[in-house]
Amino acid sequence: MKPKVGIFGFTGCAGDQLMILNLEDELLELVGALDLKSFTMASSAVEDSEYDVAFVEGSITTPKQKQKLEEIRKKAKLLVAIGDCAAWGGVQASCNGILKVEEKMREVYGAPDVWEIYESKPLSAYVKVDFVLPGCPIEKEEFLRAAASLLRGDLPEAVDYPVCVECKLRENGCLMLEGKLCLGPLTVGGCKARCPSLGVDCIGCRGVIEGEARVKSALQVFKEAGFKLDYVRARLRMFAANYPEILEVKG
Amino acid sequence: MKIEVEPLARVEGEGGIEVEIEGDQVREVKFNLFEGPRFFESFIRGMHYEKVPDVMRRICAICTCAHSMASIKAVEDALGVKVSRQTELLRDLLIHGEMVESHALHVFALALPDFLGFPSVVHMAQKYPREVKGALQLKKAGNLVHNILTGREVHGMNERVGGFATIPSEKDLERIKEAMQLTREFALLSVKLFSSFELPEAPRSENTFIALDPGKRFGYFGERHVASDGESWDVHDYRKYIKETTVKHSRAKHSSYKGKPFMVGALARIRLFGERLEGEAKELFKQHKDKLDYQNSLSNNLAQALELVHSVDRCISDVEELLSLGLKKEEPVEVKPKAGTGTASVEAPRGILIHSYKFDAKGRVVWADVITPTAMNAANVDKDFRVAAPKLVKNPKELERTLEMIARAYDPCISCATHLVRIKRI
Repeated sequence: MKPKVGIFGFTGCAGDQLMILNLEDELLELVGALDLKSFTMASSAVEDSEYDVAFVEGSITTPKQKQKLEEIRKKAKLLVAIGDCAAWGGVQASCNGILKVEEKMREVYGAPDVWEIYESKPLSAYVKVDFVLPGCPIEKEEFLRAAASLLRGDLPEAVDYPVCVECKLRENGCLMLEGKLCLGPLTVGGCKARCPSLGVDCIGCRGVIEGEARVKSALQVFKEAGFKLDYVRARLRMFAANYPEILEVKG
Repeated sequence: MKIEVEPLARVEGEGGIEVEIEGDQVREVKFNLFEGPRFFESFIRGMHYEKVPDVMRRICAICTCAHSMASIKAVEDALGVKVSRQTELLRDLLIHGEMVESHALHVFALALPDFLGFPSVVHMAQKYPREVKGALQLKKAGNLVHNILTGREVHGMNERVGGFATIPSEKDLERIKEAMQLTREFALLSVKLFSSFELPEAPRSENTFIALDPGKRFGYFGERHVASDGESWDVHDYRKYIKETTVKHSRAKHSSYKGKPFMVGALARIRLFGERLEGEAKELFKQHKDKLDYQNSLSNNLAQALELVHSVDRCISDVEELLSLGLKKEEPVEVKPKAGTGTASVEAPRGILIHSYKFDAKGRVVWADVITPTAMNAANVDKDFRVAAPKLVKNPKELERTLEMIARAYDPCISCATHLVRIKRI
């Protein structure tokens, strides 16, 4: 029997679902191997169902989304957060703890109470998440590998090393030595150090390595390299504002 | 009776349609965008100019390059940066590549199933495997442009303020040309298909169009907006012409031009600048002139198909021009931060996109404003619904199907539409 799968999206840019659609060579075979119960970005055929695996993109920012996420959780054997919004709250969380939702709403929509909106939080703030596929957006090969494991009933292997590891494997020079603030040391690898390999400093789009990142010592290193704390903080908050140690960085 | 289509499928983001019917009268029709807002203009404040495009291109996945380009060009406008001819050509290639990727996805995978009566492209693939596989390869050719010029399909990072961090190799550009040549026939097929369909008449009504004047050659960059009533203005003056209001039923604000809704996107571009199409796209445009009904927004799909042919050929000619000029390993132009305001507009696949920023002397954002095409189109979608719904009220199934088709024809990108312009800045 084909595994029952649902693909869902909440607040975000739909980029992780798009990365699945970007599997041009594998897409037809992939969906052929699944019993796809819901993927509204790509199909109007939606069935109410239990799911062996639910892939969920986006952060939760409305009461309706919270309710729907809880429903998905109840129906899913495994719930996988895909992308930085689902994993950490996404770029829309970067002002959490600094700027109130009401203030943002007043600025953008003219009144503080047009809708009931929550501060952008990851899925794990509301439900149990079984596995996280990081990235803004996800890496499509990583998705395929993870999907294969999940559909066999195994949890995939999580990446637990920083971008620097892959950067060294590609024999890149360190961008910090060129005077660029590179977030590689704190960021989950798995992207093959794509940005530093182009000469662009890592902006941390795969999120912080949970439990492994040494935020305090990295801050010290960045400070010694001459970067102002408010700049460093803004950079760190871009993709991991809900990571407790980063939320606490003041200045 | 109340009909709700929720969520609206085969669009990017969360949206829905609500129709309220009393007896056989339509009381209310609403195109709802209820995705959670993300407040980009608000949280970007304080960000250093160099990182602004890295954040702002994340407004959208499917038109990530259009956001990237609008953001980069707005920063360059504020800081007085002039880029090289090579950078301009690479950017032109990038934006045409995005059009190929996005239109191929929309035309074949999201819109075509409506016309052929399938719930999705995957269902369609069982009967039309060659066509679907070909369309996916065409989409992949567009994505190859993203991969080579920006570093990946979605949210690239190689395109920077002042130029490109790394210049692609000649071999890489040859790969783009080859991929476009190999899949070109599927762009032609899209014109053949969408010129053969009879469109539902229900939404026919007056449309006002706005697009970016591309200069001599049909394209997606420009400095002036042009409206179908003959008026035109410098993009810096967009606030005088495009007005926005918050509406309770949608997190996208509604836009108006001279107090009325208007349409942006492929149909607007073809209506205003179709004569400037080049090569076979121009021939096909002349050939199918009668098929393009500018009072029927569903014609947008045929306009997209024509653009698909044009953009495939433009990618090929851009590569040829770049190779004939010889690729230089140039670094991005050096930029000095200063206080100032900058605005840029780019044609995203769904229509004109505007980014505008104000910077302090250290080059940090103090104010930002983004208007996306889906937001601009939202009021026009409502207009089409209001015209179409009463005509179909006796047949709820047909009503539901037609309204969904209308919404989808606009290729709405709902995740973009939910972080819109502020009206007042205190």
